[in-house]
Amino acid sequence: MLAYVLRRLIVWVPSVLLVMLGVYALAFYGAGDPIKLIFLRAPGDVAYDPVKIEAIRAEAGLDRPFQVQFASYIWNLLHGNFGNSLTSGRSVWAMISAAAPVSFLLGLMTILVTAVVAIPLGMIAGLRQNSRLDYAILGTAVALWAIPAYVAGPLLMVLLLMVLPDGAVPYGWGGLFSVKVILPLIVLSFQPIALILRQTRAAVIEVMTEDYVRTARAKGVPEHVVALRHILRPVLTPVVTQLGLIMITIVNGAIFVELVFGLPGLGRLTVQALVNNDYPVILAITLIGSFLVMASNLLVDLLYPLLDPRAADAKEAR
Amino acid sequence: MDKITTGQAAVTRRGLLKFGLGTVVAATALGPGARIVLAQDGQVLKAINPAFNQDWSPLRGGGVPFRWNSYWNASAMYFNDKGEIQPYVLSEWAPNADFTVWTLKLNPDAKFADGSAITAADVKGSWELSAMPGTKNQRIDQVLSGVAGYAAVKDGTATDISGIVAGEGELTVTLAGPDPIFFQRLANHIAPIVKVSVARGADGNEVPDWFLGANGATSGPFMLESVDLDAGTNVWVPNPNFFGPAPALARIELTAVEDNVTATEMLKSGEYQAHTELVTSTMVLDLGADFAAGPTIPTSQHFWFNATRAPMDDPKVREALILAVDRDGLIKASFPDGPHQKTDTVMNSVPGEDDAAFVPYPFDPEAAKAALAASSYGGPEKLPKIMFVGISSPANEAAAQYIAEQWRQNLGISAVDMKPQQDQYSGPDQNAIQIFRDDVGTRVPDAPSYLAGSIASGSGNAQGKMGGYKNDKVDALIAEALALPADDPNRVAKAQEAQRIFRDDFMFIPWYKQTMSRWATANVQGMEKNLDWQVVAPWAITIA
Repeated sequence: MLAYVLRRLIVWVPSVLLVMLGVYALAFYGAGDPIKLIFLRAPGDVAYDPVKIEAIRAEAGLDRPFQVQFASYIWNLLHGNFGNSLTSGRSVWAMISAAAPVSFLLGLMTILVTAVVAIPLGMIAGLRQNSRLDYAILGTAVALWAIPAYVAGPLLMVLLLMVLPDGAVPYGWGGLFSVKVILPLIVLSFQPIALILRQTRAAVIEVMTEDYVRTARAKGVPEHVVALRHILRPVLTPVVTQLGLIMITIVNGAIFVELVFGLPGLGRLTVQALVNNDYPVILAITLIGSFLVMASNLLVDLLYPLLDPRAADAKEAR
Repeated sequence: MDKITTGQAAVTRRGLLKFGLGTVVAATALGPGARIVLAQDGQVLKAINPAFNQDWSPLRGGGVPFRWNSYWNASAMYFNDKGEIQPYVLSEWAPNADFTVWTLKLNPDAKFADGSAITAADVKGSWELSAMPGTKNQRIDQVLSGVAGYAAVKDGTATDISGIVAGEGELTVTLAGPDPIFFQRLANHIAPIVKVSVARGADGNEVPDWFLGANGATSGPFMLESVDLDAGTNVWVPNPNFFGPAPALARIELTAVEDNVTATEMLKSGEYQAHTELVTSTMVLDLGADFAAGPTIPTSQHFWFNATRAPMDDPKVREALILAVDRDGLIKASFPDGPHQKTDTVMNSVPGEDDAAFVPYPFDPEAAKAALAASSYGGPEKLPKIMFVGISSPANEAAAQYIAEQWRQNLGISAVDMKPQQDQYSGPDQNAIQIFRDDVGTRVPDAPSYLAGSIASGSGNAQGKMGGYKNDKVDALIAEALALPADDPNRVAKAQEAQRIFRDDFMFIPWYKQTMSRWATANVQGMEKNLDWQVVAPWAITIA
């Protein structure tokens, strides 16, 4: 297994370098020099002085050719130096290491909430296919899917502001076990719950027609044991894959939720970096995002044999 | 049911449970209320910041954190809300006969938060530090551009401004040319006075994060006690060694809330009492006239024409576009409840703003149609698409849409586009944008300075927004005015004449003069701001 993990990491390195080269080129040659933007976006009483701006760019090393800047960045990266933000001067590593745990914890909690809510509901809907309960659950899933986070977030926030007493509004990050995290979690979970619920339901309907399920029922196995032991296991395999992808999506960019609820996560940091064309921060976020995608895919690959022994046997046979 | 006999009345278990539940509910409901009613240990001002600012250095000369400079930094001098200059770190200033050398005396009581005296070397070093390219101070040109030796520091070829000599308790500043109002250019927080031994490194550049940790290196009424850049919270506490009046507030807490709707609701609920800069088109309706009220300052917003780009290269087209807009309706569309006021002129809220000889652009659709017909384009169908940029807020959008609709109704022009930033237009269009929404102004209450920064050919506005606008008569009049003493009536008269000549070039659609809003709820006193966007007297802020 260790060899497998190492092989995956070795394959990942050149692909992430290529991605970073592309991102750096887009930032470098695209619209918006980060130093010029500071002055271009300033009000009219701030003069756009090209001489002064060039002096600032030279100070920051931005007057060097593209390949020199990129090579210098990679060299520093190999020495563990992510550089400093061009806009604020702050250490990029400090910015990322403050934002990433918030997003990671949010993502983790969201998939936990999603799993706890959506999988049982999906099972129930699948087992009671075409019943009123099934329609009610499906209808709820469709409604949740239809409400985007950038609508649900502000709407719920305004409603809460109107009914809650002073000081109780859930704004800002107070840690994973703070009441402030409840509303963002609810909003973030809307669409994942809808997705996982429908996927679970579809998988249950498919698995229910299998011979071994019919056999178990014929043998008189209680229905709840049939559901938990014979139906749930095979259903979980694709659902776990989906949950992993959902978590990466949330970690990388729950932008609207972070903006509305004031959460200092990677989504908000990404928006700031893109607006300011802050190359070092953009590259660091790209690197982190790429690593997370790779790691989550690897984790799912490693989990598969545990969920489905047939996958382990197939791997061994190969 | 169990009974607990207590003398004459029997108390049931159910009764006890009800009593206990009631107590818990009461404590929960009344607890937060009681917390509000109970006297605080000193007053705490809770304010909202519209962004998670990552850089709180007071030396940037702009941006959102700049608005908080006067709370924790002292400047050379400052203007009060009536535009009157006040001594601060510098207590006296005097020029020589031809206004080329200024002697500035230090306030002997001025000291940093750590109790050490502010020296002339600190003042000189602070200005040099703000001028260094690495400091990225946006507006330092407005303060020091006239000082001999400034250019070398700005360009990164020197670390010492040769024209500033620090003596014992005073500085001598030599200018590159005469400037009768040089002292006014120092009265702002663009280059506040900081402890150079802490803030400036051996290479002359700013020491990273020197201002964090309440280390006593700043000099204002408050000290920045803590900053959490990721959570977006700042806390200021009183400076025990402040050389001015003791602050009334015990604490200031600033929290980042990026969403304007959320921020407005939090202010309405009373949870917060102030905002750094809240700009919504319903601000007065939501938070009351007191929240947005304040004096007008010498800053104004207009729509500027780039006369090098078609169809603005034809003066008749420019005239038509201006005369076709009802500017009374324009201000109603953009700020129906205030606080800003319509203006007809470039310069506002400076001596000389009222010029009886100035003829405002009339709203005259017939004259506009005639002008367009007489232009080289002949009519609306031959005009290229007209593009606006700088349409970055709801009020800007309302105004630009109103103008576009006026053109459609009165001139038959329908091809109009508008975007927040230039780079949001597709490639070729980026170099064809004809109209720039932007503000112009001055940090000194002086008419020629206002025009020097807005319509003089060397100004950033003329070069960047008006495509290199140059009128030799306008330039000459402004230059002559700038050389005159501040109390010479011709200084204002020449500026007024320059503005009248500019008017006839039809280069802008006048919009509004800026009100410097308090951005504080009615129960907060002392939040008046000056033309430098600073709270004038942070030590005097109280909460009723």
